[in-house]
Amino acid sequence: MNQFLQALINGLLLGGFYAVMVLGFSVLWGVMGVINLAHGEFLMTGAYLAWLLFNTFSLDPFISLVLIMPVMFILGFVMQKYLLNRLLERPSLATLLATFGISVILANVHKIIYSADPRNVAVPYSGSFEVMGLSFPIVKTLIFAIALAIMAGLYLFLQYTRLGKAIRAAAQNKNAARIVGIDIEQVYAITAGICIALTAAAGAIISPIQAIYPFMGQPFTLKAFTITVLGGLGQIPGALLGGMFLGIAEVMVATYVPGIGINLGVVISLLVLIVVLILRPQGLLSGLRKMQTD
Amino acid sequence: MKKFSRIWLRKWGAFPLWGLLILLLSAYPSTGASGIELFTATQIFLWVTLASNWNLIGGMTGYLDFGHGVFFGIGAYTMGILVTNTSLAFAPNLSFWQALPWTGLIAVIFALLIGWATLRLKGPYFSIAMLSTFAATRELIRILRPVTGGGSGLDLPPVLNRVGDYYFMLVLMAIVVSLIGWIRRSKLGLSLVAIREDEIGAEMRGINTTFHKLFAFAVAAFFTGICGAFWAWQNTYIDPDVVFLQNRNILMIMMCMLGGLGTVWGPVIGALILYLLQDSLWSNLADYHLLSLGILLILIILFIPYGILGTLKNNKISLLDLLSRRGFDTPHR
Repeated sequence: MNQFLQALINGLLLGGFYAVMVLGFSVLWGVMGVINLAHGEFLMTGAYLAWLLFNTFSLDPFISLVLIMPVMFILGFVMQKYLLNRLLERPSLATLLATFGISVILANVHKIIYSADPRNVAVPYSGSFEVMGLSFPIVKTLIFAIALAIMAGLYLFLQYTRLGKAIRAAAQNKNAARIVGIDIEQVYAITAGICIALTAAAGAIISPIQAIYPFMGQPFTLKAFTITVLGGLGQIPGALLGGMFLGIAEVMVATYVPGIGINLGVVISLLVLIVVLILRPQGLLSGLRKMQTD
Repeated sequence: MKKFSRIWLRKWGAFPLWGLLILLLSAYPSTGASGIELFTATQIFLWVTLASNWNLIGGMTGYLDFGHGVFFGIGAYTMGILVTNTSLAFAPNLSFWQALPWTGLIAVIFALLIGWATLRLKGPYFSIAMLSTFAATRELIRILRPVTGGGSGLDLPPVLNRVGDYYFMLVLMAIVVSLIGWIRRSKLGLSLVAIREDEIGAEMRGINTTFHKLFAFAVAAFFTGICGAFWAWQNTYIDPDVVFLQNRNILMIMMCMLGGLGTVWGPVIGALILYLLQDSLWSNLADYHLLSLGILLILIILFIPYGILGTLKNNKISLLDLLSRRGFDTPHR
């Protein structure tokens, strides 16, 4: 029983990270229909920036977040404004392949800069505390708390600010939004900036417990896809539920199936993806936009 | 009669030229070409075959397979397991020719199983499901250590026969490109294009879309599996990372994009150009060669989305029109 509860806790903590990791992917897809295959690579970029700041200025990754996000916002803004906005009228293959190209470029730029050796951020407070016989690793709990805070922040931003409303309007009906005077291209670029900043933030907060190397991105992209399909496009509560589901499923398999460890994460997310897409192609929750499965 | 022969020439005229090219190429080893030249030519044939296979499912049927390398990997691993005699749980120690049919067969079985699930997904969902399949299969192969050797890989019998390799790939390429050219001109190919243009419309017209999609998928998987098996034999060593190489997926797609999606000769031209380009990039600036390929991919999407053949066609340049009228059709939308 205790083992089960501990696995559940670990799954929930992992799920919280997955939920914040998926936000950028999910909102980008929900608002402008761009499936960002470079998602994992942007996360990797954030993690490397956190490593760089930790190594040179010994800045804690949970603090350097504040510096990383604006930088990555600019990167996302530029990517959307000068590349993806040109491709939006084209078939979805074009954006898919363009982001695929970006992922290749980002991974190899980092390989050239940092070499392929794995890096890690060794924060000084890596222990765990116990509550009722269950152990909570400090770093993972901190990641979970920050993830929830970021999610709440994004939710409030989308729900109550003028810009957030404009973004939601652009997602619901592009032409109507244009008619009421929303500069769609600009809104798209800002949205992409926010999404990439969030993704990089996820990379920064995971850096203390994840080996950082240039080709770490792909599993994150694939998991983000599965979670988004589970939770609905651009849905923040959906991202939370989907992330929790995948996190718990992964930890449960790692705990109870011997000799496998956490390497099966991609396999599990593929199985979940195929089952969900076949049984319930519209996703478990309805999102900002309907998924077009046919 | 004159009109008939012109139609015939338009429809089939490219085939005698293709046959002539194959004949000329088959004389190449006897001109005293060095081993490394034969190796390069063999690699080009391999890539032409791979790109043409991808084109069958990605270009003609419009199902953009982002993980087509999975069949390459399945073929390579089937070959590896069947021909090695190391202390694995299952080591039949067959010869190359005995093992070869199995590699294609296993790839087809895998394609039917995975296609049954993934081919009902549309658009980007299919693409990403296949990318997931690719990554998931790599992980499974890594875990199934008793059968596949796990992360440390398998050593195949070291056999060096550059001339034999050359002829094997030449024949395979000739078969695959001709087969795809024939499929494109047959009713089957028209059905595939109909599925690409409007799947529901095609279904209403009475085309069994599931069968056609699975058929195209299985054919592409069969020959990709054979290519993988050949590659494993030629390379004499396989492990999950060299076999399930992400770059291979990207290159297959880029070759088709560069030449022209959905055309018969586009992948041939695209593979030739891109292979030579990446070969020279690799030898001149090794670290930057993947980076340059990524940039090239984005440039292709931005500036020649219809590929070389598609762009020529759109500009009504009819020089190549003579070769194959049917080769040019509206690229995938």
